[in-house]
Amino acid sequence: MGTAAAIVLIAAAAMFDSRAAFNPVRGTAPGDVGAAWYPFWTAAVMGVAAVGIAYRALVLPLPKEGVFANRASVVAVLNLVIPIFLYAISFQWLGFYIATGAYMGFFAAYLGRYRFYWIMASAVITPLAIFLLFEVGFRLLLPKSIFYPVLPF
Amino acid sequence: MEVFGLLAGGFATALQPINVAFLFIGVTLGLVIGVLPGLGGTSGVAILLPISVVIARGDIAGADTTTAVILLAGIYWGALFGGVITSILFNIPGEPWSVVLLFDGFPLAKRKGKPGLALTSSFLASFVGAFIATVLFTLFAKEIADRALAFGPPELFAVFALSFATLVGLGAESPLKALAMLAFGLLLAAVGFDTITGSQRLIPFAGSEFEPLRNIQINLLAGVGFVPVTIGLFGIGEILASAEEQGIGYMEKISARLGLKDLVEALAALRKRWFLVVSNSLIGFLFGVLPGHGATAASFLGYGLARQYAKNKEDFGKGEISGIMGPQATADAAGVASLVPMVTLGVPGSPTSAVIMAGLFVWGLQPGPLLFTEHSGFVWGLIASIYLGHFLTFMLCLLAVPLLASIMRVPYAIITPFIVVISIIGSYSLNNSMLDVAFTVLFGLIGYWLRKMKYPLAPLVVALVLGDSTERELRKTLIAGSGDPAFFFSSTLSTVVLILAAIVLLLPFVGAVRGRLRRAGVAAVDTE
Repeated sequence: MGTAAAIVLIAAAAMFDSRAAFNPVRGTAPGDVGAAWYPFWTAAVMGVAAVGIAYRALVLPLPKEGVFANRASVVAVLNLVIPIFLYAISFQWLGFYIATGAYMGFFAAYLGRYRFYWIMASAVITPLAIFLLFEVGFRLLLPKSIFYPVLPF
Repeated sequence: MEVFGLLAGGFATALQPINVAFLFIGVTLGLVIGVLPGLGGTSGVAILLPISVVIARGDIAGADTTTAVILLAGIYWGALFGGVITSILFNIPGEPWSVVLLFDGFPLAKRKGKPGLALTSSFLASFVGAFIATVLFTLFAKEIADRALAFGPPELFAVFALSFATLVGLGAESPLKALAMLAFGLLLAAVGFDTITGSQRLIPFAGSEFEPLRNIQINLLAGVGFVPVTIGLFGIGEILASAEEQGIGYMEKISARLGLKDLVEALAALRKRWFLVVSNSLIGFLFGVLPGHGATAASFLGYGLARQYAKNKEDFGKGEISGIMGPQATADAAGVASLVPMVTLGVPGSPTSAVIMAGLFVWGLQPGPLLFTEHSGFVWGLIASIYLGHFLTFMLCLLAVPLLASIMRVPYAIITPFIVVISIIGSYSLNNSMLDVAFTVLFGLIGYWLRKMKYPLAPLVVALVLGDSTERELRKTLIAGSGDPAFFFSSTLSTVVLILAAIVLLLPFVGAVRGRLRRAGVAAVDTE
């Protein structure tokens, strides 16, 4: 129900953005419907489908189960989501290699509860292997940290 | 026959050392990806797309676009086989299309104590299914492409419409959800510049002077990247879903080492079931050609058919070999067949082939019938590599099961963040864009949530990759007909295909209305 409502909102925003579909002066070529026509009606179809989904959710008797099975499943997901989010944000300051080392090390320490040397190994070997494969092997440059003038990564 | 001459040329291309090397890398990676429950074939192909760009532009001596497509397709073939191993040995499906093997594969391995036979039967059926499908691909692909060369905008639009209709009308658990996802994909594809008029579309907060927002808007003008979205939906989304579904560290384990005895026993089992395997392979091929279905739906169809026509229905679910061979042959045939519409018509048959098709765009190729005339070496090299890829995968599976199964022993705290890191590199390195990384994370969350709410992702991905072409052909048809919608029906072919699309689209809705009327009739009789 909530997902359908979110889809309706996205559709409404897209339809509002494409309201020029009703502008009498449309495309540049004879017969063209213009740039807004296609997104407007696509969004309309999406909105109508979402309204239908919401209607079915209201009318049909569905099992009353929660979105998550239990608290442990929420924790399992959050254990992944929050570090991914922080990892992606830290890129622009820490660069790819430092951020990846920290991210791998965090998982080894927090979820794996490994000994110190295994944590360090995970934090160092992964960025090093990626550097060798991507930057040296495939010549794909990855973002460097704000310390780049001093450090080589 | 001309086809066999072209195929021989394809083998000459595919057998070049560099192509064999990347085929080997591809199928090995695919097998590893197939074994890992948190990573699917689609995300594996998407993550390695940036590397394929490096290969395709010739940075590696001797490599070209054929090498790149062989690598990506190899991952797909490997993943088609690899998911089997964890389903049978650990009772955990490595891929969506190997879920069906939990019914009979795991019981045969555990209850009957024959893991080697279960695995070998499955590999053998996969190989036969894929081989039959590849022979059909070889025989009919050029014929289809030659006919498709005569297609104009109305016919092309009709083909796209039929693709979308099959995504909604055939097989979707909820047609309304499939329709909403399809429209969402088309809408995402419309973000940015309109290619015909050059107008900006669907750019949030357009005109804002806030610097970070303006940077995002400038990046969005080029459109929403297909690769970051796919990596998010499938890579990050699957990781989150598997973290929740499987918990951490739980698995049942059976060890297996395959021997000649298992192969002989599996061959005897295949001889007894040759009709099932051949007929399921043919059905899998026909099913796989339909856009959006791919191997997963085919595997369930294959299991249903095997059970339906079996004399020993009561043995199904207890380790019956037909319950392994039937779905495997169907799934692999469908997997191969999903490349047929991509190569011949420019319409992907499955999410994985949609990602491969996106690769073709990035390398500067135009998927569709022109490939056969303008890049004949590429197409026939790909087709030849399908034969080689499946043979290689089959041999690797027979030889390396214990090694592949040991991948499951890599700790969760290492493998999960590693997949995330590789996903992030995959999304960043295509355009060196942090916005792409943000899209990957965002669509990872969206993909996880949509999966949880049982929204199908295939329509979204296929619509995202076909969105631009669909709109272009729609508007070209209108321009050619000076705005008259009747021009969509200007040829017999477009008329037939559009009518077919309408029928397919309306099938589930008609079925629902009939069901309601029937229930109302029963209720009325009850009241009387």
